[in-house]
Formats: sequence, C-alpha cells, structure tokens
Amino acid sequence: MNNNLPVPAVISTIRPLTVDTSLFTLYTEPFCPVAASFLPGQFLELSLPGVGEIPLSYCGFPSQDGRIELCVRHVGHVTTPLKVAAPGDAVGVRGPFGRGFPLSAYGGQDLLLIAGGLGIAPLRSLLLALMNRRELWGRLTLLYGARETGALLFLDELLELQKRGEVELQMSVDHQEHCLDGPPCCRIALLPALLDQLELDPGRIFAAICGPPVVYPLLVSRLQRMGLSDENIHLSLERRMKCGVGRCGHCAVGTRLCCVDGPVFSFAELAGIEGSLV
Amino acid sequence: MATQFIANHNLAPLLVRLRQSAELHGPVRGDDGVVRFAAIAPGTLPDLSAVRTLLPPKKYLLHPQETILKYTVRAGYQMPVEDVHQIILFGLHPCDLAGINYLDRIFLDDEPDPLYVARRSVLALVGVSCSPDEFCSCHQLTSPLKALFDLFFNVVEGGFVVTSGSARGDELLEKVKDLLEERVVAVPEDARRFFGHAAAEATRPEPDATLPEWRELASRCLGCGACSICCPTCYCFDVLEFCGLDNCSASRVRQWDNCLFKGHAEVAGGMTFRKDKAERFRYRYRHKYRGFGLSQGIPSCVGCGRCRAVCPAGLDLRPLAERLEGGQRE
Repeated sequence: MNNNLPVPAVISTIRPLTVDTSLFTLYTEPFCPVAASFLPGQFLELSLPGVGEIPLSYCGFPSQDGRIELCVRHVGHVTTPLKVAAPGDAVGVRGPFGRGFPLSAYGGQDLLLIAGGLGIAPLRSLLLALMNRRELWGRLTLLYGARETGALLFLDELLELQKRGEVELQMSVDHQEHCLDGPPCCRIALLPALLDQLELDPGRIFAAICGPPVVYPLLVSRLQRMGLSDENIHLSLERRMKCGVGRCGHCAVGTRLCCVDGPVFSFAELAGIEGSLV
Repeated sequence: MATQFIANHNLAPLLVRLRQSAELHGPVRGDDGVVRFAAIAPGTLPDLSAVRTLLPPKKYLLHPQETILKYTVRAGYQMPVEDVHQIILFGLHPCDLAGINYLDRIFLDDEPDPLYVARRSVLALVGVSCSPDEFCSCHQLTSPLKALFDLFFNVVEGGFVVTSGSARGDELLEKVKDLLEERVVAVPEDARRFFGHAAAEATRPEPDATLPEWRELASRCLGCGACSICCPTCYCFDVLEFCGLDNCSASRVRQWDNCLFKGHAEVAGGMTFRKDKAERFRYRYRHKYRGFGLSQGIPSCVGCGRCRAVCPAGLDLRPLAERLEGGQRE
C-alpha cells in the first residue's frame, strides 16, 4: 500500500453535533486498511479535493466495511469548507498513521479517560474499543470537560454508558448558559478539578488523556500526586502533522516525531522535553 | 601504489565524453558572480575552484516546489508521471555528498518517496576534493554520514586521481579509460576522512534552554530562513493544494518550508507550538545536531558553511554546538 496516495472515500452522513462541530461518516472500499486496522489514538489524513489535506483522529471503531467516523470542528482551511460538504461528496483518506493508545498494555487494568473539549473524539474511539470487550478491563472512569453544556459532544452515548453501569462518568463545564440545564453528573469547574474527589487505585490504573495543551501540565501534576507513574500517564499530542509519514519535519517533539512516534506518548517519554506540554 | 590519474588538460575531453550519456551539471559561476549547480555548457568547464555553491545539490532531488499529486473527478488522486533523465552531477564536495547520503536515509527508507526515488535513480554523483575555508566545519566534527560517490576526483599536482565508488562509477570510468593513465602519485589525505567516522549517537539530554546563548542568537536572528534554504540537509516541506479553474481538477504541491518561520508549527485555530524565536532556533539546532525521527541520533550538519556564509546577521552556531555536543573534535 502506498502511504502517499489518498484512497477515495465518499461522505455518507454529516451529523451536526454543535454549531461548529460535526460527525462525518465516510465510506471507503471494504477491508481498506485506512478504515479496518487502526488503534484508537491513531490518525488519518483527510483530503478535500482542491482544498487540501489535514490530520484527523479516528473517532469511531475499526470497520471491515470501509466505514470511518470523524469528528470535525470547522475552524481550519480544510474544515471550514467541509461545513458546506454534503453526503455523496468525494474525499480522500490516507492512514492509519502514528502510535495509538496501547490497548494491549491496558488489559486487566483500571482506566481513567480524561477528555477536554474536542479531545473526546479520539477518546470516543478508545471508549468504543473498550466497550467492545468490556470484560477485559477493570474499572472505567471518564472525566470530560467542555466550555459549556452546549459544547459537550456525544452526550447521549456517554449518559447511556453511564446508565448501564459500564463507565463512571463525570463532566464539567467552564460556565453554564443561562437557558440550559446541565446534564446530570456535570458541574461547573475546570477539568482538573474533577480529579479532586476521585478515588483511584494508583497501582493498577492507566490514564489516557486528550485535550487542549493548556490542561496537560495541571492534569499530569495532579495525577502524579495521586500516585500514578509517568509510564502510566498517556497523552495524545496535537502538532502540525502535514505528511503523516515522518518526512515533512513539522511535528518533532524533542527528537521524536508526533506523526510516527506519537501522537500518543507516555509522560515518561515527554518529561523534560521543551515544548512537549505547551 | 598505482592510481588512475587524469591530467588537467584531459578534463575537458572527459566532460565531453560524460555528456554523451547524460546531462552534465556542476558548479557554474553565473554572470551575477553567483556559483550554482547548473548545466555545464558545452565547451566550458565547471568552476572547481569555488568552495561552495549558493544552493546545495538537494534541489535536484527535492525541487523547491513540485507537484506530488494530481486530482481529477474521474480518476481521483494520482501520482504524477515524472519525466526524468540521466544527470551526472560533477564537482560535488564531500560535504554535499554526505548531505545527499543524509537525504537518502530520510527519503529512501522502508517506504521510499516515489518522486525522490525517481530523481535519485538517474543521478550520478561525481565528487571532487576541496580545501575548507573559514566558514567550513567539516574538519571540526566527525560524522556518521558517509560521503558516498559514483566517482571521486582527488586533486593532485597536474590533475586528479580518480576513484570509482559504485558499479555506475565503473561504467563511467570505462567510457573514459583512454583519457586515464596508471600513475604512481602521492595522494593527499582523503578529503572525506571526516565522514563515516562516527557512530550514530544514543539519545542525548535535551539542550539546556536556559543558556544565555539562545537568547543572544535569537535576538540577532532576522528569521529570514536563508540558513535553512541553503542547507544541504534541510528537507522540511509544506504541502499545498491548488484547485483547477475548471473546479474539477486539482494539484497538490510540496514546497520547501522553513522551521524558522512562525507558521511552521501553527495548527488550525492559530495555535502555534513554537511561539518565540529562541524556541524555533532550538528546534533547528536539535535537527542539525541531534536529528529527529528517522535521523534520530545522526547529526545532520555536514559542515559546508553555507548557513554562515549567507546569514545576513552573521550568526554562527558552531561555538554553541561545540559547547553542547563537545568531544567530537578531531
């Protein structure tokens, strides 16, 4: 397979999630590795013909029938034109790229998923993978913070998982709009504050984190204080991953490349590296 | 020991012979006084006295701007068919040969870059020995990079001692063997001795960001990126897509990018991961002296001196590199 050549895909559905964020479902050829063989936390490169190509995290579950789910915030030079895309439009996909969350290492362990804002996209992919074999993992906790209640994504799915007792869910919003009641288990706080009342067994827990860079230092220092080792704190980094194959030179973190060695790193790999947790 | 010797007066006939099988390029001084790699016009000689060209030979392998994909509604994205022809690059100094060796490691790995492969396969490398000037630092740092060549011309009294380094080199020698003579010549020390004489290094600790030198260098740096453009081992590229006027076709191009530019680390939404010039400076430093990704542990500075020669602010990373990397001086 040629990693430089996008394979054709077609937009199947577009589900608006908030005013600026949509869930795209694409279909490519059945058994296409771009759709069929990825780990949560890995990414693909999405091409919009005539516009350009961008890295996006997988948001769904690997599929043999070519189905790919992508959660897109319409803020960039490719994602803004995607706002007016329609089902049936042609796009291209390359991937999967990078290193995802090490699912095999999580076997039999407790997992603490921490998502900030759009960081829920790759963690939804992780959550779907965990739910697929729920019996393999111990206690699952999801902490999820967003700007406001209206910006909480995949709320129905998350509340359903909580209702079924599969996942312990705690959410926070920075501020609450006047006219909306918050969902249950959501309070007004900054994301790291959700860790305050959490009781964990630091000996058997991994933390999988994806959120805006600004929260990483706070989350990491609190998790360290709670007794988690640096090897067990996994962070997904965002960088400008232009080519996806380690050649364009944009995404180095220290001497590692985010697109090949990441985007998921353990904190042990990032500690002391300038600019790793901006 | 007997060597293959070619006298100076036989160089012109040799070039005529080489030109029969391929386009012949080498360092040529233009009317503007700038020495650049370009086609050597028939009847003229390359400027072998010049210490360095303005741009390194990477431009033959990675064009400043090149189409990497074509899109049509009917066919989707397709690789362009690259029209390549044989080129003999004559007059490469060991640093430039080592620079090409570095690019080979990046672009010819397990998943080779198709355009690079096409261009590299038609390029024959002919090296020539040289003497370093005040900007050069190849003689200060040993390097794991190898100055590989097809043919190498070592400058000696009255001519050159010619060595072949590959089957391609043997073929070229065969074409010109009547111009060569076997002669016992005292060959000067191999000008490539600094290359291939160090192992790739294990991970080193992060460069100390608190050193005042960073701030001092960054405060004088104009951020023009000239050092990176003329560096034989800077290969960063940006990727852009242009829609055709018919609105049904597009071409995707990659073009040289520059880690000293603010936009280099910028992502959608305007967030940039290297806001200040000193951070960008260290990013470049890490790549040049520590390497990253496929080149991790391989310093990519080949000591050609171009960055120092062209820097409008007269910046020189050498003292800092010697202090931080240390221990490699011959």
